[in-house]
Order: sequence, then structure tokens, then C-alpha cells
Amino acid sequence: MSAPSTNSHTSNGGALLEGCLFALFVVAMALVPWFGGAYLTTVTFSFLIAYIVAQSWDWLHGEAGYVNLGHYIYFGIGAYVFALANVRGVPVALAFVAAALFTGFVGAVISFPLFRLKGDYFAFATLALLPLCDLLAANMVPITRGTDGIPLPPSTAIVWGIDVKYLSYFVALAASVAAFAISAVISRNRFGFALKAMRNDEEAAEVVGIRIFPAKLKVMALSAAAAAIAGGCYAWSFRYIDPNTVFGLSVALLPVAMALLGGTGLLWGPLIGAIVLSAATQMLLTQIDKLQFTIIGLAILLIGRFMPGGLLRAAFFRRLPLLGALGAEHHERHAGNHVATAAGHDEDLPLPRRAPERSRTLLEVKGVTMAFGGNVAVNNVSLTVKEGEIIGLIGPNGSGKTTLFNCLSKVYEPSAGDIVFDGASLKGFRRDSVSHAGVGRTYQIPRPFGDLTVQENIAMPLMFRGAGVSLTRSAALAEAVAFARFAGLGDKLGARADSLNLQQRKALEFARALACRPKLLLVDEVASGLTAGEVKRFVEHIRTVRDTYGMSVIWVEHIFSALSQCVDRLVVLEQGSVIADGPLDAVLKDERVLTTYFGSAKVEKA
Amino acid sequence: MGKLLDQVPIIVQLLISGVLLGGLYALVAFGLSLIYGVVRILNFAHGTLLSVAGIAASMIFAKWGLNPVLIAALLVPVFFVFGWLMYVVLLQPLRRRNAAQFTVGTVLVTVGMLLILSDLTSYVAGATTKNIQLPFHAFIFGDVIVSSNQLYILIGIVVMTAILHVFLTRTWFGRAIRAVTQDPVGAQICGIRSHAIHASTVGVGVAIVAIAGVLYVLNFPVDPYSGFELTVKAFTIIILGGIGNLVGALLAGIFLGVAEALTGYFWASDWAPAVSIVLLLVILVVFPKGVLSRGRA
Repeated sequence: MSAPSTNSHTSNGGALLEGCLFALFVVAMALVPWFGGAYLTTVTFSFLIAYIVAQSWDWLHGEAGYVNLGHYIYFGIGAYVFALANVRGVPVALAFVAAALFTGFVGAVISFPLFRLKGDYFAFATLALLPLCDLLAANMVPITRGTDGIPLPPSTAIVWGIDVKYLSYFVALAASVAAFAISAVISRNRFGFALKAMRNDEEAAEVVGIRIFPAKLKVMALSAAAAAIAGGCYAWSFRYIDPNTVFGLSVALLPVAMALLGGTGLLWGPLIGAIVLSAATQMLLTQIDKLQFTIIGLAILLIGRFMPGGLLRAAFFRRLPLLGALGAEHHERHAGNHVATAAGHDEDLPLPRRAPERSRTLLEVKGVTMAFGGNVAVNNVSLTVKEGEIIGLIGPNGSGKTTLFNCLSKVYEPSAGDIVFDGASLKGFRRDSVSHAGVGRTYQIPRPFGDLTVQENIAMPLMFRGAGVSLTRSAALAEAVAFARFAGLGDKLGARADSLNLQQRKALEFARALACRPKLLLVDEVASGLTAGEVKRFVEHIRTVRDTYGMSVIWVEHIFSALSQCVDRLVVLEQGSVIADGPLDAVLKDERVLTTYFGSAKVEKA
Repeated sequence: MGKLLDQVPIIVQLLISGVLLGGLYALVAFGLSLIYGVVRILNFAHGTLLSVAGIAASMIFAKWGLNPVLIAALLVPVFFVFGWLMYVVLLQPLRRRNAAQFTVGTVLVTVGMLLILSDLTSYVAGATTKNIQLPFHAFIFGDVIVSSNQLYILIGIVVMTAILHVFLTRTWFGRAIRAVTQDPVGAQICGIRSHAIHASTVGVGVAIVAIAGVLYVLNFPVDPYSGFELTVKAFTIIILGGIGNLVGALLAGIFLGVAEALTGYFWASDWAPAVSIVLLLVILVVFPKGVLSRGRA
């Protein structure tokens, strides 16, 4: 096995440049209160606040793919908690902690209903939270003082030797730096990879072993806490809040527009977007005293209409010297991770070598039925797989082969029956826990994580094997190379998965399923569309994973010649039921199989 | 017990106004779900368009004293063209993007439109609430009073529902809309030019809102910023009643309208707007997949 040197940094020059650029930005911001005057300080302060909100919004959107239009409620809740604590004489530092904790908790709680939704439904439901919070703040008069708002007590002038006004500025600056740093970490750590898998395909993410809901909840709570800090800074500095200023629809959407204007999912996107949009609205709003919200609305509309990827992804920006690198996508940024190896195959996998214990039963399917309403796709199927067995699963289209796979990998919960795998019932197992237990699968229509590289796709299951067994990000990326070479993708490590052709995608499916370190491999029509030579090699692969690594295989395939080269047993499904199960020769003599699957018994005999 | 009996007429009164309000919500929701079903875009500016229609109607009425039916007849073509243009100019070009960017793009465009419409309307018409004051006749049934305006609204809702039903089930265009809602690709294979249907559907959806707006201001005041609340309610109704389901929308709308009226009476009117949002969140918890997936299928 070639030893890949996965250096964990991009091109180090790029990282250095970005570090310097950010340091420069921080220094410039830090100098504003001394040299910029009161007006500029206020404007810059508002910009920093907006940046924190925009950046924390993008953790959920840029990384995990959810459009949370109600993100601003966290800002508002944070502001309220801070203000209420402050009014009661709680020390400022403690008030910030309370705001972050309480709001983070709120974020975690509303994750439960919200994450049942996806796409624009999620966007809508979150947007509905804004009027709800507005209403709560306006009506819970005994606590929030309603629409009168909460004036904070006059500042006690000097805290820790600095004027309070400037102190809140520096807290906001520190929080901005923290938000940027968190983004930099999430963009490349294991948690971030879980989110990136989710944004591409939640089901595939679960099937490779990622438990997605806790990841969603965590990122929601984190972004809520960050926005709450911004809200606290706002209340502390402006010393007055009311429902409209912290939950109003028009203010609430500006940070979202900022992140999108800059370029969502890019480290620098929300920052650049916040700078540009803050400056633009500030200039406009000082010139115009009417129709201000029309202008904000117009800005949001135009960004939506003309800026799909944001400024940083625009062609003119990418052409800029030095700065153009800030618009690099994730897969370009981490190109240094990928050590392209020569094309061709490598038969070694980083899996324990063991001979299968042929007499041991690995999988027992007991009377599994899967009904969708009145449509029974899998009907009372029973089937046993011994360790090291290769089973060919055939049947006409719509006979329930893929549905059976979906039951085995818990994509569907069977309506009746039981599945015993490796001695334990899979009842109550989630998709990720089935994957951890040792069921790996491919999809008939490949479902790669499209915007990640081949190497990252394969590293994904290696990173999420459960406590104690998971590899670190860099170890997983290193180990993924061998799987890629095994599947013949050694020269494609750094390619984006959605740039692959169909055969390569199927190879990637296979490699990713193997990286789940399965005991049972479910292969769904991998050979269709391959040349005869490729089919032969694939058959050898199936033999290898059985003979060398002790896996059992269930292989759904229409290319019968491929199956006949390696299967121990053939199982035939028709209309959801098993009509034959036995050695190749016996099944091929079965009249019913011949008529239903091969068309006519007579033709076959002739 | 006697106390409760005394309240019966009031409650009946509340039920009547709740049903009417709910019927109007249903009309708004139906436009929204028609659009969503066909073009897969959630129009965040939908309820705001009702505010615009209502305010425009009340201004026309105040200035020229036209019959509300005539006002609706004037507004419908204007709103149809507005919806059609909004789709062709702002939304259709977003279709070239990938799914994630399409969603974000449509959200921003329609939310931007929402902000622009409310602000422009408040600039032109003032930020105050508006309605249409028709001569008032009361029909008295025992202790229950029904105003002529309420009767007009009821007639309006019934007529609109009937027209929509006939439109969707008896006309070529309506059938095409239903086909595209159920299966866009299949519809295209059968010779329905989806792209041609799209713009007209947005136009129709927006035109329905114009009528609902005129009916709305007959009995309920609107202001430029009250629209978004209506969009939220319409969305709740869609989730409850199912995409493209006329009867479902009507039932869900009435349920919501009545729930709001009763909340307002038994608790506090300040909280009535919260009903739909809380209901929405509760539905999402109780029916994690059910209501929604059935609606989408």
C-alpha cells in the first residue's frame, strides 16, 4: 500500500495569507474606537454584530444546508435575556453567559419540531418564528414589558478601566473573531464533515454511519448561542430594546442577505458580505429618509435574483490576484490533502484479514413484510445468509429487491417480521447503528456526497464508526486512499464526486460501502453498464472481499453472467415473495423461475 | 351552567365570524398552494399581496365609490399580470440553478418582494389600517346578528370555491395544473408545456388573492404590514389541508379561523395571531411525516 502523505494544511501559503488578512482586519477594527470617532464606531459596531449573526447563520446553511430564516430570533432572545439580567443587576459577564446558554437551549428545543422539515418548508417554518417571538415579547408584559420595551440602566461609565461603550465594542470584536475561528474549524473538522454529508444527502449520510439529528441539534444550538452573544452586545451598547427592533422582519433578514451576498459556505463569505452590505445600507440610509425598507427589500431581492453563489464565487472576484483564493470551494481548498496515485488497482484494503466461518449464520430474515399503504412491496420474505456466502438476488423489476435492501439497512422500518443480524435483532436500530453493526450497502442509483471529493466521500464512513472505532479526519483521509485504489479510483482522489461519470460513481459507491467495514455487503446493480472486462474485475473484487476479508454479500444484479461466476446461492423474488432459493443449478431448473424471470421455459430449453 | 348558556349567542356569533375569516384564509392558502404545487416556489409575499389588494380596493372605494364587485374585476387582471411578470422576470431564471441555490434564490426574491410591497404600500397609502364601509344591514336570527357584509363575504367564498373547483376539474388549464402538481415530468411527457403553465399559474394564484383581499376589507381591517401574518396562516393551512387540495384547504382554513375567534374570546385577542404559528409547530411534532408527505405525494 502506498503511504499517502496527507498534509493537513492546504497550500500553506494560502493559509498564511488568509491568517495575515484576518489579523489585519482585526487590528483595523480594534483601532476604530480610538481613531474613527463616535459615528464610525457605532457603524462598525453594528457591522460586527451583523457579521456574528450572518456567520452563525451560515454554520447551519453553508455547512449543513438548512435555510433558517428565523435565525434572528436568537439575536432577539439573547438581547432580551441580557437586558432582563442587566436590569436586575446581574454582572455583565454573567448576563452574557445566561443569554448564550438560554438561547442555545431554545435552539436545541425547537430543533425537534423544525428538523422534521426540509428545504423551503424548513425556511418557512423558521420564518414564522419571528412573528411568534415578536408576539410573545409584545404580550408577555409582566416579563418583557410589552411594546414599551426595556431601557437598560444608564451605564456606570467605566468597567475594567474602559468606557462601557467601547467595552461592548471589544466584546463584539472578540465574538466576531471567535465566530470566524469556529467557522474555520468547522469547515474542516469531523463535525463539519458530518454536516457536509448531511447537506448532500441525509439518507446516505445515515447509511454510512453518521447520526444526523444530534449533529443538527448541536449546530443549531451553537449558532443560537453565538447570535445571542450578538444580541447581548446590542442591548448592552444601545441600552434599549423592544420587540420590533429585535424581532422585526426587515432587520431580521439582513444578516441572511449578507451571508448570501458574500458567498455562503465559504469561510470569508459572510464577512465580505457583511462589510459590503453594511457599508451600502449605511450609505443609502444616511442619504434617504423615506422608503428605506424598500431599498433593503430591493437589495435582498436582487441578491436572490442575481447572486446565486455570492460575490466571492463571481468570476471577476476569482480572477483577482491573491484575494481570488478566498472564493475557493471546499474541494479546491483541500486539494493538498489528495495525493493522486496512479490509475489501476490495488488489492489491499485496510481491513482485518480473516477467513469466513462458513457454518455461522450471519443474517436471518424472518417473515419480513414491507407495505406502503395497500401496496405490499416485500411480502413475508424469509432468508438466511451464512458467513462468507455470496447470494445472488434476482427478480423482475418491481419484485422488491431494492425494498428488501432498504429494510435491511433500515432505510425503511419493516411493517412486520424480524431481521436478526450477527446474533442480534435489528428491531429499534437506526440507519447509522445498522451501519455500525456491519451492514454496508450501495445504491442502485449512486448517491455520492456530490460536492465533496472522492477521498472525502470514502473517508466519511471511516470517521463515523461509533465511539472508539472512528478514525480522526486525517487518519480517515489517509485510509480512504486504499479503498479508492481498490475500486479503481486511485487517480480520482481529489475529484468532486459529482464530476464523476456513472461507472466511476458506482465504483465510489462500492468503495464507500467497503469503508463501512461491513460484515454483510449489499450490492445493488453495480455491474450494469460495465464492459465485460470491468464486470470480470468486479466479480474478482466480490470474491476478494469474501475470501480475504470474510464478508458475506447479497448482490442484486440483472447481468446474470456476472452472478453466475461467483454466487453460492440464488434467491429469486417475484412480486415481493421468494419463489426460489438454492444453488444455481437447482434454481435454473425451476419452471416458475424460468417463466417469470427469463420469460419462457421453452426458449431456455431450446 | 346558566352562565354558559348565556354565552351561546356570543359563541355562535364568534363561530360565524371565525368561519368567514377562515374561508378567506383558505382562499389565500389556496392561491399559495396552487403556486407551490405547480412551480415549487413558496411565495413569501403572498399574504402581503392581500394587504396590497385590500388597501387598493379601499382607496378606490373611498375615491370613486365603485361597487366592490367592480373593484375586484379591476384588480384581478392587474394582479394576474403582476404575478405572471413576477414569475417570468424574477423567478423563472432561477430554475437554471442547482436545487439548494434555487431554494435560497426564490426565498430571497419573494421575501424581498414582501418588504418592498409593504413599504411601498405604506408610503403610498399610509401605515394606517383600511377597510371598506358599505351600508350596513343586519339580519337578526334570535340573538344572533349577521351583517350584510358577512353575507357578501360568505357568498364570495362560496362562489370563488365553486369557480375554482370547476376551473380545476372541468377546464383544460385546470387539469393541466393538477397534472403538473402531481407529476411535473409525467405531465411534460403527456404534452403539457410545464413552462407555459408555470407563469399562468402564478398569475392565477395571485389573482385569487386580489379577490380575497377585496372580500377581506369588507369586514376586517388591513394595514401594509399585516400581510406576512396571513402568509403564515396560509402556510399552516396548506400543511393541514394538503397541497392542491381545495376541500382540505377550506376545512383547515375554517378550523383555524374558528380557533382564532375562540382564542380571542376566551383568552385574549392579543394572542389570536399566535394560534396558527403554535398550531403549525404542534402539527410538525405530532405528524412528523404524515400530513406533509400525503400533501406532497
